[in-house]
Amino acid sequence: MTEIQAAAVSAINVEMTFGTFKAVKDASFELQNGKFLTILGPSGSGKTTLLRLIAGFLTPSSGEILINGRSVRAVAANKRSIGMVFQKLALFPHMTAAENVAFPLKMRRFDARTIPDRVAQYLKLVRLDGFENRRIHELSGGQQQRVAIARALVFEPDLLLLDEPLAALDRKLREEMQLEFRRIQKELGVTTINVTHDQREALVVSDQVIVMNDGEIQQNAAPTQMYRMPSNPFVANFIGVTNDLSGILTRVTSADATARFGNVELMGVHGGAVALEDGTPIKGAIRAEQIRIASAEQSMAGLDADFRGTVLDAIFEGERHVYEVEVPELGGETLKIIHHDRNDQSALEPGALVHIGWKNRDLQIFPAKQ
Amino acid sequence: MRRYKTSYPISWRFMDVLEAAFALVLPRGGGRLTPYLLLTPAVLLVGTLAVGLLYIGDSSLRVLDRSTFLFSDYWTLENYQRAFSESFTATIIWRSLAGAVIVTAVTLLLAFPYAYVMVRTSSALLRKFLLVALFLPFFIGQVVRAYGWLIILGNQGIVNDALALVGVEPLRLLFNYPAVLFGLVQYMLPFGVLMLAPALTAIPEDIEAAATSLGANWVRALFHVVLPMARPGLIGAGVVVLTLSLTDFAMPAILGGGSQDFVANAIYDQFFRTSDQGFGASLTLILIAVGSMTVGLVFAVFGAGTLALGANRK
Repeated sequence: MTEIQAAAVSAINVEMTFGTFKAVKDASFELQNGKFLTILGPSGSGKTTLLRLIAGFLTPSSGEILINGRSVRAVAANKRSIGMVFQKLALFPHMTAAENVAFPLKMRRFDARTIPDRVAQYLKLVRLDGFENRRIHELSGGQQQRVAIARALVFEPDLLLLDEPLAALDRKLREEMQLEFRRIQKELGVTTINVTHDQREALVVSDQVIVMNDGEIQQNAAPTQMYRMPSNPFVANFIGVTNDLSGILTRVTSADATARFGNVELMGVHGGAVALEDGTPIKGAIRAEQIRIASAEQSMAGLDADFRGTVLDAIFEGERHVYEVEVPELGGETLKIIHHDRNDQSALEPGALVHIGWKNRDLQIFPAKQ
Repeated sequence: MRRYKTSYPISWRFMDVLEAAFALVLPRGGGRLTPYLLLTPAVLLVGTLAVGLLYIGDSSLRVLDRSTFLFSDYWTLENYQRAFSESFTATIIWRSLAGAVIVTAVTLLLAFPYAYVMVRTSSALLRKFLLVALFLPFFIGQVVRAYGWLIILGNQGIVNDALALVGVEPLRLLFNYPAVLFGLVQYMLPFGVLMLAPALTAIPEDIEAAATSLGANWVRALFHVVLPMARPGLIGAGVVVLTLSLTDFAMPAILGGGSQDFVANAIYDQFFRTSDQGFGASLTLILIAVGSMTVGLVFAVFGAGTLALGANRK
């Protein structure tokens, strides 16, 4: 091999079996040094198991995990240079904030004279200077998060693992901490793997996103690519609000595909890289915010598909409206539409006659089964 | 759709009956007095003990006239003078106290790993086995268990029979101090485990994982994290085992064979053999004082707050 620099983390065909249950199936990926990877998936998708395999709490049934190009199969968890922030934080309640942060330095036998300075430096990094002598239960939820981050980073690990530490926070604090994680990660340049089921978080904080389901990696891509070009219906549905349409493929070219939905034929782009054949059942996926909507009298220019429909439900969410529109031409399918209204005009009421439309490039066509 | 039970649960009917009974006694409700009313039975029970203690205190101040076998009608400290002047008293107190401390230390040492495995094992089968093994001795009772040890450890017991097979002379395994302590540890172990288990359950599993990922091997994780966090349980278990051992009667009586009496045995002798109720009562109060001071010392050193009582503990 002529690699210049080994990937910070690579998984090669990693499998994990508990009894007869396969928690992780044939997982392979690489993460470059200094990057922020988020493993995204519903609960039970194997994402936490994958994280625990990397941390060393579990040993893979087969396959290899390499950290900085070296297999860690024989390296115990406490000998790996990995900082981890746990879902329930797992701070030590019998110690102060500073003692919690000093713990890994003592365990890893750092020079005792340097420990106080280093602890102060990292408490400052997480903006907790002045809270050194507080007990853990004297800190707020957000402050506890910060202690957990400082404790995981203070010994300058090669890798930082985040096991859904934000899941229990309320939305405002969670979004604040997401940006905080991102800031600290950028500032230190530490390679990070984050596990979450929050798709928004994955898109906000990551350089790279892996979507998992049923123990399998569904897609591994940058957030923008993951959003624009989901590789299968699962990813399309898991990230963002997506409408599913069932149809039959009628014509396929190298550039695009045409399929019949209800009474109409629609053109779209290939989703993913799987070959499609004429006459097979397919799934069409179109994002709720990529459908345009207007009242029946208004006109919409520059759209490839244009249908009439009736508003069934209208939900006001502040910066946007969410509509459910029944479209007879698509076999009576109900579509979810997210409408951001900048210079509004009045909202559409349930029962209103509307027309909706989209551009061909926004309709993704996937094989119905893979 | 989930189906909801429409029938009225029996436990609810039970509560209705309780409520009706309460309304019958107090038609207008207890109001702010309700919690105190509910506390009354327990207070009465403890109060009876306190009254008993007053009687004991009274007895301890009356000396037995050995010619008439009547107690003095005046108060005197003679019984206490006798207790503190006879070396016998110091011997049994010292034997009881040292025994209780040793038994507590050994019991905690054995109970901790037992409770830890019981709480942490991922195998439901092993957990059940450990629980059943813990509770079985409770069904047998202390005296029967002590007799069991007589059969096993006696001169013609199972152990000596086995030793004889390999040509070892019969050993005197009973009626000595180690035998009493052995029996006590065996008796106290379930108490220790049951007191420790909730404290260990309260420690989140991720704590050990966190300690490990921060660089601690299991020994350091145990001493720096798990043991300090289990402190309330260790102190609670320690105090229970200490006081129960200090005041134990059956094990010294049966496995000590009269030669290894604890304070409780001496008290029994005074009350029921020599019929010197006064001296027995003074020994009783001395035992209570020694026990209270020992527990007070434990709390002074480790802090009663560590017992996990009180609301502001998280």
